[in-house]
Amino acid sequence: MQPLRIALAQTAPQLGALEANLERHRALLAEARAGGAGLVVFPELGLTGYLLQDLAAEVAMRLDDPRLATLAAETVGLSAVVSFVEESADHRLFIAAALLEDGAVRHVHRKVFLPTYGLFDERRFFAAGSLIRAVPSRLGVGIGLAVCEDFWHLAVPQLLALDGAQVLINVSSSPGRDVAAINEFGLGTATSWRTLMRAYAQMTTSYVVFVNRVGVDESISFWGGSEVIGPAGDTRFGAPLYDEGLYLVDVDLADLRRERIATPLLRDERPEIVLRQLERIVRERAGEVRDTTAEPGAEPGLDVAPAAGSAPLVRR
Amino acid sequence: MSAPLYELPEELRIDTAIARRITGEFIRGQLRQAGFERVVLGLSGGVDSALVAYLVTEAIGAEHLLCVLLPYASSSAASRSDAEEVVRRLGCASRLVTITAMVDAYFGAGAGEGALGADGPEATALRRGNFMARMRMAVLYDLSVVWGGLVAGTGNKTESLIGYTTLYGDNACAFNPIGDLYKSQVRQVAEAVGVPETIIVKAPSADLWPGQTDESEVGFSYADVDRLLYWMIDQRRSEEELAAKGFAPAFIERVARMVAGAEYKRQVPPIAKIGPRTAGLDYLYPRRRPGSARRSG
Repeated sequence: MQPLRIALAQTAPQLGALEANLERHRALLAEARAGGAGLVVFPELGLTGYLLQDLAAEVAMRLDDPRLATLAAETVGLSAVVSFVEESADHRLFIAAALLEDGAVRHVHRKVFLPTYGLFDERRFFAAGSLIRAVPSRLGVGIGLAVCEDFWHLAVPQLLALDGAQVLINVSSSPGRDVAAINEFGLGTATSWRTLMRAYAQMTTSYVVFVNRVGVDESISFWGGSEVIGPAGDTRFGAPLYDEGLYLVDVDLADLRRERIATPLLRDERPEIVLRQLERIVRERAGEVRDTTAEPGAEPGLDVAPAAGSAPLVRR
Repeated sequence: MSAPLYELPEELRIDTAIARRITGEFIRGQLRQAGFERVVLGLSGGVDSALVAYLVTEAIGAEHLLCVLLPYASSSAASRSDAEEVVRRLGCASRLVTITAMVDAYFGAGAGEGALGADGPEATALRRGNFMARMRMAVLYDLSVVWGGLVAGTGNKTESLIGYTTLYGDNACAFNPIGDLYKSQVRQVAEAVGVPETIIVKAPSADLWPGQTDESEVGFSYADVDRLLYWMIDQRRSEEELAAKGFAPAFIERVARMVAGAEYKRQVPPIAKIGPRTAGLDYLYPRRRPGSARRSG
């Protein structure tokens, strides 16, 4: 047995109110500690609220911000994942998730994939991170952090698992939409996310911890539904939709070994093949070599060919 | 199974429990962020405003809701009694403000000339209807001060998309909990929250003149236009694809034109860009942020 009690902090951050949200985090850390939790996870931008727009610069913290240090100081004997707007020394603003452990900032993940479509406009206000890395943890297993949209890109959970993560943590501010009677949970967003979480847990034989916020920013309602999925894709816990709360979930980290021995998918991964194919695809997309799926006769970098006997599509 | 109260296209069927959860969170969130605890709305006797009254009651309690009945002399008696029934069932505060004197003071009535002068009586039904909607708006915003509440919008997605609203009239509000629900879905949620059946099943009407109904005025049924709008807007189908689904090309073209023609009604008016930072363009803040809430008391 390697028991771990995980606290899912399904909170409703106040938009732009950094001090109030810091206070709420401190209170919930204390509550989780009192409840025996070893890992506490807060949602994406839980310290600032989501729909910040121009407020992003006003609530940003550098990694040396004393307010972050004060919050980290509350994690002696604990692991916690918190999320905020991080300002780099050269004044780029990132959506960051940080692993705080034993009083210090252990790891920072900057959101790599910033959705800028539909109701999202993140790339307008934020810089995109470019590192996807697992990190060792006081819990004795590797941790992989991802923020919301990062998990709508297949490579992210795979890279984290290959890099040694055994617990994949996704923190989110997912707006609820597509309310329909045909959806499993009455909410299209929830149905989609639940499908993804189970698939990632099973394919990476890892625990997946998903913490999504609740509450309202402007028009958007966030749906909660935080979850813990076991390494065989089995649901260990699902928090209610829309209810704020601190939910405690007990897991056995020894299940990771059992599942990875029984179903050695990660052992059988062939990252060198993936790498070679990706290098080819990247070169093709960059126009450095002929695209193998382009129409015959297409110019490098293009995939449509001119009709037989006609002039090139692009004249130089 | 009993016969349905109204026609609900299958693709428009929603999970009403989730919809009510969202509108409840939304209403409470809007009030909290603005520093208010109360809501005021205009109650016409129709299903849209009745639903909003029920949703507000569900979210914050009837004691925090003021429903204002705003009839004109020609408004139907049935509308008024339906509105009174909603007030009675919810147990919320209500107030009756007849707008006849305000409207007649402008257009004139009978032999008496109004502020507009001799051409007042020639005003079209459209002008009179728009003016009435704006008088109701003016009353609601005035009473919002007395009541200390935010004005809740009661317009639905169908009328917003086809432009069947009066700019700065019935579409004026502080927030709108049902603006993303088609009329068919409004009826569905109304049934779930217990809005009286008579209100759900009666023909929707702007009640601008006796016997007027929305559907006879625009020439198509809500069930049909809701389905068309759902496939056209939400599911991004082209006109060819819509025709292949069985919608008549003339119907598609007419509704597409109505939607495009009403774009201006759904947006904040443009400001001429002159300075370095301009609201809505490169000065972008959430409507509610630290410091923006009204001080309580």
